Amino acid sequence: MRAGWSQEIWRLVGVLALSLLIGLMTGRVRDCLLVGLVVVLALNFYSLHQLLAWLGASEGLKPRDAPGVWGEIYHRVYLLQRRNRKRKRKLAKLLAQFQASAEAIPDAAVALGEGWDIRWFNEAATRLLGLRPGQDPGSSIRNLLRNPEFHAYLGAGQFDRSVEIGAPGSLGRRLSVRIIPFAGNQRLLLAQDVTDRYRLERIRRDFVANASHELRTPLTVIAGFIENMRHDGSAEARHWARPLALMEQQATRMQRIVEDLLLLSGLESGQAVTDTEEIDVGSLIDDIRDEAAAAAGPDAPSLVAEVTTETRLRGGSQYLRSAFTNLVMNAVQHTPAGAQIWIRWRLDADRGVFEVQDTGEGIPAEHLPRLTERFYRVDVARSRRRGGTGLGLAIVKHVLQNCDGHLEIESEVGVGSTFRCVFPATRLVFSANLDEDLEAAG
Amino acid sequence: MSQSDLLHHYSQQFNQELEEIRTNVLAMGGLVEQQLEEALHALVSGDAGHGERVVANDYQVNALDVQIDERCTAILARRQPTASDLRLVLVVIKTTADLERIGDEAKRVARMAIRLGTADHSRGLFLEIEHLGTLVRGMLNKALDTYARMDVVAALEVAKEDQRIDREYENVMRQTITYMMEDPRSIPFVLDIIWSARALERIGDRCRNIAEYVIYFVMGKDVRHTNLDQIEAELIRR
Repeated sequence: MRAGWSQEIWRLVGVLALSLLIGLMTGRVRDCLLVGLVVVLALNFYSLHQLLAWLGASEGLKPRDAPGVWGEIYHRVYLLQRRNRKRKRKLAKLLAQFQASAEAIPDAAVALGEGWDIRWFNEAATRLLGLRPGQDPGSSIRNLLRNPEFHAYLGAGQFDRSVEIGAPGSLGRRLSVRIIPFAGNQRLLLAQDVTDRYRLERIRRDFVANASHELRTPLTVIAGFIENMRHDGSAEARHWARPLALMEQQATRMQRIVEDLLLLSGLESGQAVTDTEEIDVGSLIDDIRDEAAAAAGPDAPSLVAEVTTETRLRGGSQYLRSAFTNLVMNAVQHTPAGAQIWIRWRLDADRGVFEVQDTGEGIPAEHLPRLTERFYRVDVARSRRRGGTGLGLAIVKHVLQNCDGHLEIESEVGVGSTFRCVFPATRLVFSANLDEDLEAAG
Repeated sequence: MSQSDLLHHYSQQFNQELEEIRTNVLAMGGLVEQQLEEALHALVSGDAGHGERVVANDYQVNALDVQIDERCTAILARRQPTASDLRLVLVVIKTTADLERIGDEAKRVARMAIRLGTADHSRGLFLEIEHLGTLVRGMLNKALDTYARMDVVAALEVAKEDQRIDREYENVMRQTITYMMEDPRSIPFVLDIIWSARALERIGDRCRNIAEYVIYFVMGKDVRHTNLDQIEAELIRR
């Protein structure tokens, strides 16, 4: 038993013994014992009162002495309080450190509550988003960032990507905004100033577009004259026949590159984003197949169209046609005569898939990730010999991006390659007999 | 459930409804801001494609206008709000009307942009109008910010800014007149520019209206058609 307790008990025993003694002396044992107990009770009540007064002190508690078990209680409460205070100080310091580091981030950071209400933000948020400390916490971020694209982003709830918007209030600045959910319903908004990147990107795009545009006219003139000279029929022309043929070939190739570059820069600037046209992919495939067969001549591989759905595709027909043609032409070039190429349009769950599968030589795995880069070629010499521009798959990639779709490539050396364009359900117009379609898709 | 619980619950839902229409108005404001931005871009850079997009998207602004009005009617009918709640609903109705008109003006600017985009004109006047457009865009943004914050002091500033826009508008007018005197052939083109400038100036007026609604909501005092200095003096007295 602790010292406090034994002291307390001894005190009780002492008081009782004293009152018993007085009781025996005066002959009123019961009354005396009662008085003794009342005294003990009163003392304890007094101690309780003091404890409460001590706990109620607004300032930090000071250690205090008291007899018996009360002293122990004071001591323990004091220790507990001191430990808490220390922990609180540590936490406050940690919080201050955290806030200081969050303030130091050059990107705007805003902590958001459940209903998009602003809880906290750093100094960069004041600068980039125009939020005002002291005034804005508590109001909804949607009221202060009113960009429709940002609202759509919040509404869609897909926070694995970021959204690019114009900075509110300041003209010309671009922000890349991202929401990061954490700790249940809390969310953190991060906004990064991407104006410089955006501007550079635009300069690059404009440069390519302008350069290509400027090259187009001289090339047309050169190609025109070469053609004239080739068909001139004079003795001199016959003498220069081979150089002229080569010149014409190269001029045509350059023209194609320029056309492709112009197409690409158009795609990049988002001009081609259209979802108003509904395309009948089946008949488009028939067209492309005929075109490819005619272009490849007699020793073409056989082209098989397999269209298993009547679902239509929403997008720019001109651009999708050029993307699909690129894929088919690629397959034709890499497949030996007599082999087979399948062109398919089918549903995979609720996604639309346009697929070109060949039985050509295939592509080594290390090239696959870089295939859609501009001017990237697996076999440089051969591609040039065949008149490729090196831009085909880049165009395909951008067309698909503008249609919310993406490109999947599978290839095995010696077996063949499959190029797959996958479109989300939002881009598809399902035909009346949708159920049959879905059944066919399995 | 006790009576007080029920009342509390109802009023909270009411609060939510009010906050929601306010957010809706601001979302509409964001859309109008974007429309104006694109229209100006189309006008200044001669990009007709942008202009066509603005004209095509105007229906979204109109749809929001109708939708918010319907909600306000429902709130008036079901809740019969009083005092500041009533003022809020009134302000929302008026603001949406003004925003819808701003959307129309943006569409008008976009139409001019489509018309001007194809022709090759001297870009001197475009610089002037770009400056005016930048001012107006900033003012719309600020007006909506004060609306989001219900900030009287900022609202007063926005209301005052209208005078700057009027001055800039007069500037453009003077410039266009010299253009027309110099070369009468440019008159059709300059007229289009004048229409655009006029539309922008009107947007400035409507931004001032919105700022005045904010003052009305917070102070319960209708400050339209009054002297701004008086209001400012009163604000300081408070």
